[in-house]
Amino acid sequence: MSLNQIRLQEERKQWRKDHPFGFYAKPMKTADGSLDLRQWTAGIPGKQNTLWANAVYPITIEFPEEYPSKPPKVRFPANFFHPNVYPSGTVCLSILNEEQDWRPAITLKQIVLGVQDLLDTPNDESPAQEPAYRAYKKDRALYEKKVKEQAKKYASA
Amino acid sequence: MAKDSYLKKILGAENFSRIQSSKVLMVGAGGIGCELLKDLVLTGYGEIHIVDLDTITLSNLNRQFLFRQNDINKSKSLTVSKAVQHFNYLNAHLVSHHGNIMDTNKFPITWWEQFEYVFNALDNLEARRYVNKMCLFLKKPLMESGTTGFKGQIQPIYPYYSECFDCSTKETAKTYPVCTIRSSPTQPVHCITWAKEFLFHSLFDEVESDQNLTDPNQIRSETDNEAEIAFFQKESTELAELRHLITTADPPTFINELLVKIFKADIERLLLIDSIETRRGSRKPTPLDVVRYSSQLAGLLADVSNENILNLDTKMWSVLENIYVLYKSSEVLQERIVSGRESSISFDKDDEDTLNFVAAASNLRSSIFGIEIKSKFDIKEIAGNIIPAIATTNAIISGFACLAGTKYFTTPSHGTDYSAITHKSSTIFVGITPNKYITSGTLGPPNEKCPSDALVSRGVFKISPTDFTTLTLGWLIGQLENYGYSRDDISIQKSNSKLLYDIDYDDNVDLTLASMSGLKDGELILISDDSDQLESLELYINIAEKTSLPELVLRPKVTHDEPEQENEDGLLENGMDVENDGVILLDSEAENEENDDLLIIDDEPSPKRRKIA
Ligand SMILES: [Zn+2]
Repeated sequence: MSLNQIRLQEERKQWRKDHPFGFYAKPMKTADGSLDLRQWTAGIPGKQNTLWANAVYPITIEFPEEYPSKPPKVRFPANFFHPNVYPSGTVCLSILNEEQDWRPAITLKQIVLGVQDLLDTPNDESPAQEPAYRAYKKDRALYEKKVKEQAKKYASA
Repeated sequence: MAKDSYLKKILGAENFSRIQSSKVLMVGAGGIGCELLKDLVLTGYGEIHIVDLDTITLSNLNRQFLFRQNDINKSKSLTVSKAVQHFNYLNAHLVSHHGNIMDTNKFPITWWEQFEYVFNALDNLEARRYVNKMCLFLKKPLMESGTTGFKGQIQPIYPYYSECFDCSTKETAKTYPVCTIRSSPTQPVHCITWAKEFLFHSLFDEVESDQNLTDPNQIRSETDNEAEIAFFQKESTELAELRHLITTADPPTFINELLVKIFKADIERLLLIDSIETRRGSRKPTPLDVVRYSSQLAGLLADVSNENILNLDTKMWSVLENIYVLYKSSEVLQERIVSGRESSISFDKDDEDTLNFVAAASNLRSSIFGIEIKSKFDIKEIAGNIIPAIATTNAIISGFACLAGTKYFTTPSHGTDYSAITHKSSTIFVGITPNKYITSGTLGPPNEKCPSDALVSRGVFKISPTDFTTLTLGWLIGQLENYGYSRDDISIQKSNSKLLYDIDYDDNVDLTLASMSGLKDGELILISDDSDQLESLELYINIAEKTSLPELVLRPKVTHDEPEQENEDGLLENGMDVENDGVILLDSEAENEENDDLLIIDDEPSPKRRKIA
């Protein structure tokens, strides 16, 4: 047994007991009929009164074998438009970085809330893709247009 | 006088007869194993099983004294038992097993059951963890031991009564992400690691590298930049081609190809995929202008007196000098292979040719990435970070392991209730600190956050082949309720964090146990209580004659609601008492084969180094 197993089941239990409104998170079903607690899909609602509102953005959360010593990897779909999201979709966020602010005590709930926060408050200091970063810095009108288009694509029912 | 009369006098006749009628297991027949087996045989153990997967090499002979020159390439486990026959005065029955202790086909749990006591004489973390785990499943007492240089340690482990091997975090040697080493170095040590573990290794060595810098799974876990992954693959292919040139081309051709491909063409290709993602804080590289240096290099090579450069250990070589050193060392290494004297060459800091090659290659890479150049002397320090194994330390530690092991047999047995023996035992450390050559510490209770023994109970779930194919997961859940778990609160996971059942996931309850992939002989399942009343339970599946679940009384679950304290270093204190004089730091798996064992002991208690798991 590893801490990984106990901790992941604990995260599942805590999420079942209490999770923020409008979010979802669940482990993926594998071909052999089990649920893979190391691979989750989740949805992040954009905050009201922001460019990101009225949409739920899909992410995948991948927990490494060394979790919770090491942080999970969070990804949007590839080419997701956001200054701090790499072209591959990987989210660049300090609480998800082992060398920066990751701590084993950080919960799934804190992670998804952190990602939600990041949507409307990009971090100038860690650009991860050219198009969104350039638009955000140099052409705010274009940036807003692109974000709104993206929100339509992921509009919540 | 009988050969055993002294032993009887010292141990007591009754205790000695317990030793004589016992069957023990010794895992590992290397540096500690050779010493320990001698001690065990002369202590009178009735039956000793020895497991080791290794064969004997030349470098073992300086301390593994049961081996001789003509034993090279023979099995260690078989050779040790033959060697001790010369002094097997007490007629120990020796049984050798050449194999990997972690092989569940060769060594199933039913095989482990026969032993009364287990002695570890291992040299790597993975096998130690495995033996620790098996001893926890079967509640067998275990003697753990290890040495590094002049330091050494023994730790008796009484499952669930004293700290187990996993109770303290073992510090492992620093490994770097593959991407840092292969595409985005920022420090000299990154370039040295690249030169030694990647370039040198790919060209000249055959032995598997500790640092797996070509593992596709590792690479994929670090980057999803397809261009970068393709770059790594192409670079590996090129190195294979270069390796082929060693035996098919003349030195100037081989070395020129090496310079052009590795220090110029590859860097140019890296620049093509230059992006925020691949840079990771490293400087934009400048390819080596090989052509520009070629005439100067020819000039240097023409004059033999320039070979003096190779001896300037503390000088920072210029780029040209590094190219020259790379040329000269490559030439010799190639010759060593071509001449047929060696089929492959391993890096050794005391082998000047290999050190010159690694120093020059690493410096050239540093200059490409705008990283400071280091002297050969400094590079030797960093690249050769090796603590040798010392025969005397092994002998002392083995002696302690054997003596402390007899304590188990001289204390009245209470089955698997180890409370009495735990209080009578201690860990022992040796070192060469003045006034503290030998220190000891009492055995602490299991660390309450240890995933191996404090958070979980373990047992063997025996199931007959018929029951396995007819009984369902739902049946198992019913059985688990006998431990006090509630159907609505438990979760069942198989290995790799794959969930089979919990209140929100009952898809599998009507399936038979055999039909669920991953449930088979030798596999583990983990049961946890979502209501936080009872501790977790880990079951080892054993296909056996009769079906039975282990008899266990589960302990209340310990929860940790208190906020975790962070100290100024940002590390989390785990609240453990440091009762010993030293903290056990374990290096990574054998950094090199000289390390019989890698327990490093600090002289000062330093709880901060124990990172929370
Ligand atoms: Zn433990």
